[in-house]
Amino acid sequence: MTNQTLLSTHGLRKSYGKRDAKFEALRGINLEIKQGESVAIVGKSGSGKSTLMHLLALLDRPTKGEIHLNGENTSKLRQRKLNHLRNKEFGFVFQSFFMNANDSVLNNVILPLKIDGVGRRERKQRAMHALKIVGLETKAKNKAKDLSGGQKQRVCIARAIVNNPKVIFADEPTGNLDSATGAKIEDILFNLNQEHGITLIVVTHDQELADKCQRQIHIADGHVASDKEGALIEDDKATREIEVYEEEPDEEEGDEEYHEDDDDDEENEEIIDRFLDDENADSDGDGFIDNNTQPHITHVKSKGSK
Amino acid sequence: MKALDIIHDANANLLRNKMRSFLTILAIFIGSFVIILSSGINAGVNDFVDKQMNSVGGDGYLEMMNTAASEQVMQMFSQEVKEYNEPNKDENTDFFITEKQLEEARKIDGVKSVDAFKSASVEYIKLKDGDKRYKLNLNLVPRGNLDMDLSAGRKADPDAKEYEIIIPQNLAKSLGFDNPEDAIDKTVQIGVPGTIACYTAIKRADCITLLDAKVVGIQAPGIMAMGGSRANLSLWNKINEINNEGMPAENNSATQATADVDPEKVDEIKEKLKDIGLTAMSVEDEVGQIKTFFDAVLAVLTIFGGIALLAAAIGIINTLLMSVQERTREIGLDKALGMSNFRVFLNFALEAIMLGFWGSVFGIAVSVGIGQAINVFTHNGILKDLPTFTLVIFTPQNLITITLIIMLIALIAGVLPARKASKKDPIDALRYE
Repeated sequence: MTNQTLLSTHGLRKSYGKRDAKFEALRGINLEIKQGESVAIVGKSGSGKSTLMHLLALLDRPTKGEIHLNGENTSKLRQRKLNHLRNKEFGFVFQSFFMNANDSVLNNVILPLKIDGVGRRERKQRAMHALKIVGLETKAKNKAKDLSGGQKQRVCIARAIVNNPKVIFADEPTGNLDSATGAKIEDILFNLNQEHGITLIVVTHDQELADKCQRQIHIADGHVASDKEGALIEDDKATREIEVYEEEPDEEEGDEEYHEDDDDDEENEEIIDRFLDDENADSDGDGFIDNNTQPHITHVKSKGSK
Repeated sequence: MKALDIIHDANANLLRNKMRSFLTILAIFIGSFVIILSSGINAGVNDFVDKQMNSVGGDGYLEMMNTAASEQVMQMFSQEVKEYNEPNKDENTDFFITEKQLEEARKIDGVKSVDAFKSASVEYIKLKDGDKRYKLNLNLVPRGNLDMDLSAGRKADPDAKEYEIIIPQNLAKSLGFDNPEDAIDKTVQIGVPGTIACYTAIKRADCITLLDAKVVGIQAPGIMAMGGSRANLSLWNKINEINNEGMPAENNSATQATADVDPEKVDEIKEKLKDIGLTAMSVEDEVGQIKTFFDAVLAVLTIFGGIALLAAAIGIINTLLMSVQERTREIGLDKALGMSNFRVFLNFALEAIMLGFWGSVFGIAVSVGIGQAINVFTHNGILKDLPTFTLVIFTPQNLITITLIIMLIALIAGVLPARKASKKDPIDALRYE
């Protein structure tokens, strides 16, 4: 672990839409994230925390301001170079996993290496190694859709680390999992952070998860509301509870959130089973092929119109 | 991402929705099948016409008549009334071709040789030791390095001293040779009438001279050479000599001429020959009509195939648009993990190309199979008399060209969906909050 600055932002702004419909998601963010840190980005829905993560992960370009990666200003880089950086330096773990449900576990893990053009033999070796780290090497040949939610997220972590990234961006990594399974995933992620020195940037609502991070950055209305090392004091926890409460009637989240809750309920019913045997296959089919049907697309459209 | 990976993924993605891919491929298959089969028939007809053309003289072969004579022949088939134009004094209004005309014809650029030949009339042909006599229709063996459509033996040598003859296969059969090979080197006799002799003879047989000739080749049955035998020059001249025994020499002039010319300049040479009063016909002129007919039929078939392909292309667009829609999140993930827009474009474009490829591969497999069946069927049926006519011929070049064209059409169809996929914003595609 070093104290070298990995990512820094300078006056980061992001707005969507034009004139009257203009919406400012980020209104000037200045941050510095050091290599080897574990950082939680916390904030209520619409606070801009996801937008911030997208910008940090070079998935989107800021309207104003700069992001420096390893001291290099990324806004001057061409799209090709950005793609390459994402492929080489970053790993992604998503709430809804995003896997090719009908493909094998191994092929799902291989994807970043395939995009990078790594040869067949080498990528298989590296993928098997990554699966070993998350303890799923025996499931390599299984279809992704036959795994339980926890196993799926472990496959996604394997996919995130297969290219030896400097940073893992985890967007609500435990959001779709019951608490026991979620804890396991958290353990793996923090182990990667501590043992392998991979910088961990977690976007989450989950205060318990945020508390485990070395540093918590609270985002509110597009600003950094607080940026603290270590666990939050009681006052902040209280604030957070209100945030969660406010979030419930949020229109934008509508169907999707409800659907996700549904999944959680189903999973909760199976918690006992899972305690007995974590490898127990879960048939709720959360692989993204299953999820990406019409309701999701209308959801995206309604988002775009804001 | 390596090329092999992309191709492999494209095929794997097609297999994800088997029924949909299959139906799209089926649509392409219908179009490609029609086009491949009609191109096969086109090749078959062309091959046959080429063989036929060679059997009567090939590319650089012209048959010439004095224009006055050819006009008289034409007049017999025409109902058109023509105004009389008084010819120049030195114009050749005769049936005969004059030495002067031949001299001028030889001087034309691109003309390699000109052979004038006098008329030769024959009565019948029979085996030397046989009785059965058959009517004979005799022509001259054309000069030049021509590939005749022979089913046995060789081409007669136009300059040989010996009397050589090529007879059609069906005549050989009537003469008793079921196997064309058996007729080679056999001696036949040709009954040649003497014009004066027959004027005075009491019985027709009394004025017929029997001439021995050696069969050197058997002409395969064809549309152009049906029933026509061919003599070499020495046999032809001997027949002319017998015909004209006792006749004044000036009545025995050349009425026809053949020319061996540069195939590239045929049209030009024909124009120049016209200026010296000779009407020339190339084999293309004769075979052209048959070819035009086939060409028209095949053009219509090809247009139908093209329309089917056009509809199939729209099917490809439709299939891929659905695929792009369904795989929005996957595209988002690919892009988040560093896949470039161009790669995403390439992935979908290649899926389109693979649809075209498989459609055309199935098209080839089925058309080659059906083509063979048609060939067997026609050989035993309507084309029984034309064994050298293979109706459907597939050449690797043709099949590869058609496959490439279909893949190109598929690629063009794939551009719209592939662009749509490549322009997806990874964040929008992945948004799940």
